[in-house]
Order: sequence, then structure tokens, then C-alpha cells
Amino acid sequence: MTTIKDLISSPLLLILVIAGLAYITAFSVVYLLKARKRALELGITKEEIANIIKSSLVFSVVPSLSIVIGLVALAASLGTIWSWWRLSVIGSLSFESQIASSLAAALSYSSTTDMVNNATGREFGVIMILMSVGMLSGFLILIPAGKKLMTSVDNSKQGNGWSQVLSGCFMLTLLAVYVPILLISDTIQALVMITGLFVAVGLGIVAKKPGWGWLNNFIMAGSMILGMVSSLLWTAIF
Amino acid sequence: MSKKNSVVTLDPFQAWCHRWGRTGTVIALVYMVALPFIFLGVYGCIPSLGEVFNVATIGILAIYIPVGFSEALSYVPLMGTSSYLGFITGNIMNLKLPCAVNALKLTGKQANTPEGDVVSSIAVAASSIMTVAILTIAALLISFISPIFELPAVQTMSSYLLPALFGSMTLGLFASTGSGTKVVKGGLKGVIPVIVLVSLVTLGARLIGQGGIMLGMVGFVILAMLPVSIITSRVMWKKGKIQVVDNPAMAPAAEKTEE
Repeated sequence: MTTIKDLISSPLLLILVIAGLAYITAFSVVYLLKARKRALELGITKEEIANIIKSSLVFSVVPSLSIVIGLVALAASLGTIWSWWRLSVIGSLSFESQIASSLAAALSYSSTTDMVNNATGREFGVIMILMSVGMLSGFLILIPAGKKLMTSVDNSKQGNGWSQVLSGCFMLTLLAVYVPILLISDTIQALVMITGLFVAVGLGIVAKKPGWGWLNNFIMAGSMILGMVSSLLWTAIF
Repeated sequence: MSKKNSVVTLDPFQAWCHRWGRTGTVIALVYMVALPFIFLGVYGCIPSLGEVFNVATIGILAIYIPVGFSEALSYVPLMGTSSYLGFITGNIMNLKLPCAVNALKLTGKQANTPEGDVVSSIAVAASSIMTVAILTIAALLISFISPIFELPAVQTMSSYLLPALFGSMTLGLFASTGSGTKVVKGGLKGVIPVIVLVSLVTLGARLIGQGGIMLGMVGFVILAMLPVSIITSRVMWKKGKIQVVDNPAMAPAAEKTEE
């Protein structure tokens, strides 16, 4: 009988994952080149484009390292290849971990470690399929209705102004939901957020000084890192 | 109502995204769903429908399916055409959206304009490539790096990524609603009921020792609160409490152009 161990280290799985990631990388490169070409046509300078890319690359490092922590945790129960695939595409760490641990319990394994030692290939198949279909609901809106959603908040036409109010509404709702939850539900969470905010404001003030304009590219990444580091202090105090 | 409003003229890049970006997304989607079936088919391990969808798994799906709807409804209008790529590579709230907001802030462009869309797309594409590169290196070196990422200090810092991120980007989020030639004045009034409701519910949850549950429910909360803020904003806008005015920061540039 095929076991989970036969599947998680399969060369075929590795080939399929590499092919998928190659496609996604190529898709990203095409998107980047198309956007860059149009940006130049719209009068955005090469220097501004370079700054966007530099800032995005720097900013992406820390959240990506957090995803690496997830990779390390998930690889222990589902193998490196499948975990690498799931966390590189639409997967979310919380969803993948929950599927793995809930299924371990549903299949009467004492833990995910127990599951990786004893599960059958079909049981691993259940995990693979659930992880692949579970996060697709967003696409049921994006594919058929994405264009409509985007044009409904198009700010390029001034019109009567409602589209601009509506456009800002989504951003403000996101803030109005996340900020109270982060500030009220947990003291350390609140302190980490406030630290990040203060650092961002401080760096913003410094960046306005002559000769410090380059700092603008790193304000978000810097304040996020210092906010995260502050969690060590806050957890030690509280 | 005039039918003229329904005719939409798209920028060439936006039109490309809606055609080829969407096609590329569908191809990626089909591949993601097909991958396990192809692989399991080769090994003769495709489980039955009953094994995949049962009481234990439906409960988990029931949580995450509304989250997906909520993400699409709330993030697509913010990210514009970069959504197609962003949704494929995932990690929107903790990675792609902040990158897009940061890029808009750096260039002073407004979301949902042709300029805003190209700027966001450059940021999201660069971030996607970086994440795939980092995860690939990590997967290759996993046996060497595991001890570092299993350190308690690293795990503690990682668990506070979201609050740190919100602290660092809250100003950027506010700023991105105020760039471009026009700005929304008094937009915050439209979300006051949301702030009050979410604060009260979170406070209640914390008082009964369930504060942590709110972050897990955030997808549902956004889904429930979006209509509240849209309706409130619409009413406030009609009454003139929320206004769209000329951006004072852009006035000198506009005057210069006129000269």
C-alpha cells in the first residue's frame, strides 16, 4: 500500500511543483514588464520604478521569512515539497496548518507527526485536495466580477465623486475592522502595533530632512521589523 | 439613469490585465486544482468524495470559504488590476496589499487610476518574485535553517507580524486615500459605526476571555461590515458630510500646468 512517506518525497511531485512555480514566476515577470512599459508611457520615471521595485523587494523579506517559519512547521507534517508549493501559491499558513491538524484528529492520529509516520496515500490525498480547493472561493468573485468591481471604483473619471468615496470606503473599512481588533483583543498585540506606528512616524520625520530622502523606501520595512522585535520586550514585561 | 455611465474605457494596461492577466490566473488556477489529481492518479491514491468532504472537513471549509469571498470583495477594489497576480501568489494582507499601498505612497499616485494600477502591479510582481525566491532557497536549505526558525524568539516575533505590519502601514493606508488631484474629505465619518461596533464586540470578547477569537473571525467581520460602511458613506456623501474636493497638495502643480 502506498503511504504518505512515498508521496511526500516523490520526484513526480517535485517536478509538478517546480513546473507550477516556474509558471507563476514567469507570469509575475510578464506582469512586471508590462506594467513597467506602461508606467514609462504614463510619465513615471525610471528612477521611481526602480524605487518601487527596491522598496517592494526589501519590504517582502520579513513577511517572507515569517512564511519560512510556516514552511519549517508544515514540512514536519506534510513534507518539504508540498509545503513549499502550498505556501508559495494561494495557501495561507493558518489554513494549511488547520487542515493538517484537524485531519490528523479526524483520522484518529494523535498528532501531525503521528500522521506523517502512519497515514496512507489516500489520506494524504484528502489533505492535498482540501488544501487545493479550500482557498479558491475568492476566485469565484475575482474571475467573473473582478473587472466590474475595479471599474466601479475607477478614480480616473471624476464624475460626481461617489466612486472616489466608495474607493476609499474599502480601505477605511479594512482599517476600521483590523485596528480595533488588534488594539483591544490583546495587550501585547496593541503595544507591538503602537511601536510600529511610532517608528514609522519617527522614520517619516527623519526622511523629510535633507539628504535622508532615501529612507522613504525603507520606512515600512524598518518600522515593521522594529515592531516585531519589540514583541520580545513586551512579552518579557507582561 | 443615463446609459452613458455603463460605457467603460480602459487604459491599455488595465485592458491587458483584464484579458491576459485573467487568462493567466485561470490557467494557474486550473493547474493548482489539477496538480493533486494528476499526482494522486499516477499513484492510484485518489480518495473518494466522501473521504474528502465529511463532517470534519466541511467545518474547516465553512470557515475559509467566506474568508475567500471577503478577501475578494475587500481587496480587489484596493489593489486594482494587480489583484489577478496578487490572488495567485497569495499572502495578500501580510504582503501584497502593503507593497501596493507603499508603492502608491512612494509615487504619490492614487489607487484605481491607470497610474495607480501600474505602480501597484510593479510592486506586487516584484514582491511575488521575491517571495517565491526566498521560499525556494528555504526549501532547498530546510535542514540547515530549521534550527534557527525554531528558536522561541524568532517564533514570538513572527507571531506578531500582523500588528507590526498594521502599525507600520496605517499611515500609508490613510495617505493612499488622499493622493491624486481629488481627495475625500471626511471619509472617516462613514466608518464610525464600524469602529464602534467592532470595538464593542472585541471588548466583549476580551472580557469573557475570548479576545483571540476576533482575529480568526476577521474575514467574516469585514464581510459583514462592508455594507454598513458603504451605506453609511453613501448617506453621509448625499448629505454633504463626506465631500470630494481638490487636493491642496496638487494645486501648485495644476496651476503651473495651466500657465
